[in-house]
Amino acid sequence: MDPRYDIPRRAAGGGGGSANSSPALGAQSRRRKMPPRPADFKLQIIIIGSRGVGKTSLMERYTDDTFCEACKSTVGVDFKIKTVELRGKKIRLQIWDTAGQERFNSITSAYYRSAKGIVLVYDITKQETFDDLPKWMKMIDKYASEEAELLLVGNKLDCESDRIISKQQGERFASRISGMRFCEASAKDNFNVDEIFLKLVDDILSKMPLEVTNKELSNSVLSLQPEPEVPPELPPPRMRCC
Amino acid sequence: MDNKEQSKDSSTDRSDLVSEDGKNSKSVVCQRCGSKVLCPGMAVFAEKELFLPSMRKKSGLGSTTDSSVDGDTLTAHWFVDDMYTFENVGFTNDVGRIKYLICADCEIGPIGWHCLDDKKSFYVAVERVNHA
Repeated sequence: MDPRYDIPRRAAGGGGGSANSSPALGAQSRRRKMPPRPADFKLQIIIIGSRGVGKTSLMERYTDDTFCEACKSTVGVDFKIKTVELRGKKIRLQIWDTAGQERFNSITSAYYRSAKGIVLVYDITKQETFDDLPKWMKMIDKYASEEAELLLVGNKLDCESDRIISKQQGERFASRISGMRFCEASAKDNFNVDEIFLKLVDDILSKMPLEVTNKELSNSVLSLQPEPEVPPELPPPRMRCC
Repeated sequence: MDNKEQSKDSSTDRSDLVSEDGKNSKSVVCQRCGSKVLCPGMAVFAEKELFLPSMRKKSGLGSTTDSSVDGDTLTAHWFVDDMYTFENVGFTNDVGRIKYLICADCEIGPIGWHCLDDKKSFYVAVERVNHA
């Protein structure tokens, strides 16, 4: 059995025949000559924070659904491509969720280096996740680009009754770090989640002059894997016989 | 005029999905949550035999204990050569040299396949997505 997928050379719904004379098809082929641009900007964003703060759920739209267990728990999600539209631009976000790498030194510096936006998450119901923030900041200071936009997120707003960290505490922490924004969110109720990414992207875009962004786009070599720690080997010096 | 949507053997007639130039004439969306994976005209129809673990399997697809992973060998795919062509998509961690593609929003999957040995090939199985 070898099912061949036969693609008839005619447009869907069309009655065949004189394709070129149809005005609708003419428009289609005109459109085809200008291939749609995949995206205007590409940005890398990482989500960091202590274990259990809900980093992964910030990337999901439906958290109470049953997931493909195979994908979720065994193999795990490495990263996602998400598209947002802002200021008339289409922006592709490559979002790295660092769940499972919560020990501070286990996230490779390459993740930080390439990130244009960093979302630092804590759980408003767990003191220790808030206490961990300075340690995460140390990692950011050490590895991330100074230009990276920072957003502090107090997650689990849906557990308001168990709140331990006040909104003011979060605000105060963020205000001590220049350029760090703050918000509270509930990934469970999807409250503020989309806004988090939009806000971050907006900040990133407003920091980038247009020429720079274009240059950035054409020059950026975005690989699936984080960059290796070691710089690429220099070509071996030419051997010369004296 | 017969209704192609109701055609029993839909796999043999893809003219409603594949445009004249071999691209996807409709948006590629998640079967469960409708999240948009690809915009129309962004992917090329490609035939390649690829094994994708079942979407419904409970046990792990990376599990080494059970060697017979439940799944399907699928032939019809949407091919793109740049991951930034996707509107929304998720990549699993590596399973050998393979990364499976999943829905970025509800994480159902695998809906597609990517091999780390070929950084310019990404496949989304036609049978594992809807077209809108």
